[in-house]
Amino acid sequence: MTKIAVFWGCRILTAQYGYEMSVRQVLPKLGIELVDLREASCCGDPVKSMNIFAATYLAARNLALADKTGLKNLLVPCNRCHLNLCEAKRRLNEDKKLQTELKPLLQDEGLELTEDVRIWHTIDLLHDLIKVETIKNRVKKPLKGVRLASHPGCQIIRPSELGRVDDAETPKKLDDLMEALGAETLDYSEKLDCCGAALLFSNPDAALSLAGSKLEAVQAYGVDALVDSCPSCHEMYDAKQEEAGKVIGSKLGLPVVYYTQLLGVAMGIGVEKLGLHLNRSPVHELLEKIH
Amino acid sequence: MSLKDLMTMAEPKLDLSLKVLEKVWKYQPNDCFQCLRCTSGCTSLKLLELKPHEIVSLVKLGFVEELVASDLIWACATCLKCKERCPQKATPYDVILALRNLAVEKEAKVPEAYLKAMTTILDTGLMQTEQKVTTLKLKTFDRETLGLPKISYPSERFKSAFLKALGGQE
Repeated sequence: MTKIAVFWGCRILTAQYGYEMSVRQVLPKLGIELVDLREASCCGDPVKSMNIFAATYLAARNLALADKTGLKNLLVPCNRCHLNLCEAKRRLNEDKKLQTELKPLLQDEGLELTEDVRIWHTIDLLHDLIKVETIKNRVKKPLKGVRLASHPGCQIIRPSELGRVDDAETPKKLDDLMEALGAETLDYSEKLDCCGAALLFSNPDAALSLAGSKLEAVQAYGVDALVDSCPSCHEMYDAKQEEAGKVIGSKLGLPVVYYTQLLGVAMGIGVEKLGLHLNRSPVHELLEKIH
Repeated sequence: MSLKDLMTMAEPKLDLSLKVLEKVWKYQPNDCFQCLRCTSGCTSLKLLELKPHEIVSLVKLGFVEELVASDLIWACATCLKCKERCPQKATPYDVILALRNLAVEKEAKVPEAYLKAMTTILDTGLMQTEQKVTTLKLKTFDRETLGLPKISYPSERFKSAFLKALGGQE
């Protein structure tokens, strides 16, 4: 077992339980022991729009908490948290003044930034550390005849100058992982379209319209499901799918699942253990196809 | 208010452009040569008429007050395509975040949801409170009934440190 610290972020811990449940189910079966950070806070994402310095403090604080575990690897399953922690890590490495400014704030809680922790997302952890071959070997129920579209999301693939999880314009790790389960994948022109989640804060109708348009396009391709790996994107495509359909005046009914939920099903783990009963999109239509 | 309305009375203030530049770290909005790669791929162009190249241009020209008062800076979906594709490291994404920060400093109109998130972070450490979820079969669950561990929330010491961080950077 390899021990890895995990920073869940707010959205997973407070609402997107299916992601947390499925990650907690699949990773230990693939040789990863997760160690939750104690007293973790918001990563700084919504704060960045109001106060960049305070947002960087929040990210640095969580990195320091990861440091405190003594583990060298940190899993950050949320795309937005992943970006924020990676950005902060780089700024701290390159900006000595910022380091000096943040030090006393961290010291207030007895925290310190010492080591460079390696930040992983679910997708590169599975693809690059656990490896596609290992996953292939663990499949008990292959997804034969299942056609899937991937939604990699924005924040784990851009900006590439920061070093991201996959290629900025032609990401394929998520598709590789889907194919490892025996599914057929789809190359489609809306793949890089944004889910719109960040606009929920300021322009909810535009946010829902962006999510709805992508779902409508994917549905028209006749796939069995859309697969994602970010709590913000998933909230838009799954929990808000009905609302999004209303905004664009379209009847939507596309199953949307987290990759880790799908992986769990293929590994033979029970549907409720993976939180699939919490999905609001019609996932039963997809599950009926997997035997 | 739309940017066009605000611009009819506008007067350039270059000192405010410098304030934006201070906040974009190492990126270089001044190097923008208006190639429009950002705008041509912008997620918010069609629905919200966000044109990132215009934002960068207005900052260069000193029309920061107008941008700070405009709803437009809140129309960015933060998809980062402009940052990825900018050939000049002018990165409209970072410029827009800097403008939002200035809007907060100048007590301009900030979308309510951001303020709410901030209040919740100050209160609990997280941006939203634990939610109950209802399934399609109308059963309701929370962390406990799903068998998930209790959240370990930050202590009071976090709150005071975070307040200090919000108080500002020297």
